[in-house]
Amino acid sequence: MPKVFRNLCPRNCFSTCSILSYVENGKLVRVSGDPAHGFTRGNLCAKGYAYVERVYSPERILHPLRQFPRGSGNWCPITWEEALETIARKILELKGRYHSFRPVGFCKQYGNMGLLHYAANALFDGLGSVTVTEGNSCWSAGLDAYLYSMGSMEKPDPEDMVNSKVIVLWGVNPAWTAVHQMHFIDRARTRGAQVVVIDPVFTATAAQADLYLRPKAGSDGALALGMAKYIVENAWHDHEFLAHHVEGYEAFFAYLTSISYDWVEQETALPVEAIKEVTELYALNSPAAIWTGLGLQRHTNGGQNVRTILTLAALTGNLGRPGAGLYNPSMTPWELFSFYTRDHVISRHPVEHRRININLLGAELKKTTDPPVKMLWLAQRDLFQDAHTGSLRGALEDLELIVQVDQFLNRSSRYADIFLPTTTQFEEWDVLPSYWHHWIGINEPAISPLGESKSDLQIAWDLSRKLNELSPGICSFPTAGKEEEWVAGEFNQEVYSRLEIEDYRELLQGPRKLKWPQVAWEEMKFKTPSEKFEISSLTAASEGLPLLPVYSEPASAPAAYPFRLMTPHSQSGNNSQFLNLPWLTWGTGEPCLRINPLTAKRLGLSNGARVRVYNQQGEIVFPVKLSATIREDTLVCFQGWPGSAEHELNDLLNGSPTDMGSKGSGRPSIAIHDTFVNLCPA
Amino acid sequence: MRQVGFLVDVSRCLGCRACEVACKNYFGLGETQRYRRVSEVEWQTEDGIGLFYLSLACNHCENPECFRVCPNRTYRKRRDGIVVHDAGLCDGCCTCVKACPYGAPQYDADTGKVDKCDLCVSRLDAGLRPACEEACTNDALKVIFLDRIDETGLLKSVPTLPDIRITRPSIRFNPPVVRKQWLSKK
Repeated sequence: MPKVFRNLCPRNCFSTCSILSYVENGKLVRVSGDPAHGFTRGNLCAKGYAYVERVYSPERILHPLRQFPRGSGNWCPITWEEALETIARKILELKGRYHSFRPVGFCKQYGNMGLLHYAANALFDGLGSVTVTEGNSCWSAGLDAYLYSMGSMEKPDPEDMVNSKVIVLWGVNPAWTAVHQMHFIDRARTRGAQVVVIDPVFTATAAQADLYLRPKAGSDGALALGMAKYIVENAWHDHEFLAHHVEGYEAFFAYLTSISYDWVEQETALPVEAIKEVTELYALNSPAAIWTGLGLQRHTNGGQNVRTILTLAALTGNLGRPGAGLYNPSMTPWELFSFYTRDHVISRHPVEHRRININLLGAELKKTTDPPVKMLWLAQRDLFQDAHTGSLRGALEDLELIVQVDQFLNRSSRYADIFLPTTTQFEEWDVLPSYWHHWIGINEPAISPLGESKSDLQIAWDLSRKLNELSPGICSFPTAGKEEEWVAGEFNQEVYSRLEIEDYRELLQGPRKLKWPQVAWEEMKFKTPSEKFEISSLTAASEGLPLLPVYSEPASAPAAYPFRLMTPHSQSGNNSQFLNLPWLTWGTGEPCLRINPLTAKRLGLSNGARVRVYNQQGEIVFPVKLSATIREDTLVCFQGWPGSAEHELNDLLNGSPTDMGSKGSGRPSIAIHDTFVNLCPA
Repeated sequence: MRQVGFLVDVSRCLGCRACEVACKNYFGLGETQRYRRVSEVEWQTEDGIGLFYLSLACNHCENPECFRVCPNRTYRKRRDGIVVHDAGLCDGCCTCVKACPYGAPQYDADTGKVDKCDLCVSRLDAGLRPACEEACTNDALKVIFLDRIDETGLLKSVPTLPDIRITRPSIRFNPPVVRKQWLSKK
């Protein structure tokens, strides 16, 4: 009989599943969902079911490696001692040369969101002021729209969606990116709810919808303005709610009179009948919920577009009640935890790091001087999943040492000198909350670390030990410890009382749900300066943004590059992760470029024809797949094109900044869906 | 005659592929083995875009071609209609792989043998649901007794399914649905 352990999926994902891991003779033999988890209800997704293959993949790196020369692919095993000594001596040498730790760069993202994985952050805090990357390419613009409107990013319990009469899924494809939510959406439907999908791509979620609208990408704000205008014209707005809880609606009403339905039709490419139909459905069926997707805010006008969509809830009073509300990821339940690992150093010795923009990493590394960045610690991240990948190459080549900490070599590894293998969640202790649901589980080691892999926490302890051996007192991060004690450190009395437990070990019997409001904003006390929902935001105005959610034109295709290239998530990968696993990719065909059949006909292309897709930044060659799911001016390639040394899909992405993002994330995000290309037969 | 089979509700399938990979996880399949396969089917309708996902494993046919063609007699049709394969007798000749219209038998390069979906007979015998059905979040996949169900409203085939007349597959479908779509201004 296999022994069963509990693990958590630490990926950057809505579901944060609890996993049951079956172990025989010290080997993970299979995984299953955890029936004790009320949100994921015993199911994993395709990626989750592939974990056994991921853990034992022959491609997984299990020993420290050194690549010499850089870019050669000539990776040779070295000992941990050699690796740590090389890294520590480089850090000390840079400190000596520049009288500063700022030549040491630290770049980590969301490859593993576990709280113990912040150990790397704390390790560098322990040195003092280094150079860290700031911002993310994920959710920044939409997050700021919520912050300007409501003051903080709070949202309902996603299980409350069962109480909705209308659910608007706006620019989100949960069938592929949050599959467990589909159960709650379906339950709402069986209780009579109508599901609306608004998306420039007819997705698997759209195929489930009662009503689907396909606006031009980036025109969501115009669509929302048309809806708001129709609501007000028909007096479907909630007078009482507006009078008590909404700031600046009068000015917004005046703005709405200045727009015409003809203009909305022209911007969105949708007929006015469609706009009226969706508005009537949303405004007249209470309670109604809107889920603003992450895709929709990845435009140069994405933040303003989200702000405009949020006003629809304020106009109709769809806030603070069961079944109503606005959905977006929220880190609020995370804030209950102690961040014992992340704040290990800074809770005692605050550190001011030098911050550079992660979304322009190549350019930022190049222009950073006095002192320049000479070394990079790269953790849980493939740099080539962002835009501006062309400029990145030169900047990385200029660095004297690049250390990569991960489980697999990825496209960034071409530039790395040392690779440190880390454990998967099955080989370590950890805990992490969800940014979507309210369930908390625990992650216990199910198997011993494979090969010589070490947890991020162990690596941080070991490097601190090596640094302090060479230069006593140089790093204030601990040099040893016990992982499980650090997990315990992440809990506190508040978390325990909200979970109704006395000890984190009780979670080994099954995840528990936080006592946490099912409904956001029930008290109607928003965290804005006016304590109201701010349609008109003086905060936004003071930060250089429009006072009102007025429309700003989306980026449009230049004459030379008439097609918009969109790169949404597939069901088989999570950004750069999982797509190296045959269980998820074998037999599914070469990644392709989706093209509308009418466009294909015009260009004389048939299914499978190879095309060269190009713009001023690069080119790649693809087979095409004809699909009416997208507009004639749009091309779609789902994430996962494997790339090559010469060509990366992301080389084509120009990475203009989004209009918002600095407030919540420090930097604007990338307008990744405002990429324009041309194509011709290859 | 008792006949166990699958009911696939293509109007509910999300194309998430959890069924396909849950099967690989449960059986520890080889890299190139897909006992269950999910494909995307798109067609044009008068009402707009037709899009559904087709999740197929072994169809446990009434007249299984694999059973008929295998030179080593590795296939057997049980009394409940489930077609099982004895990989121990298989020499990997792949005659069945070529004969099956649905691509159910899957060759494993590591073992040099073919194997396929056995409808999780060991799980069924233990009162459990098949791994694929259990992994489906949207209740799109169900095991049925074809000799007992009322087939009203069910389809025997859907677009892209190979001709069913040769082997009479034990699979039924809830029909695809196309709902209201506003694709662009006319």
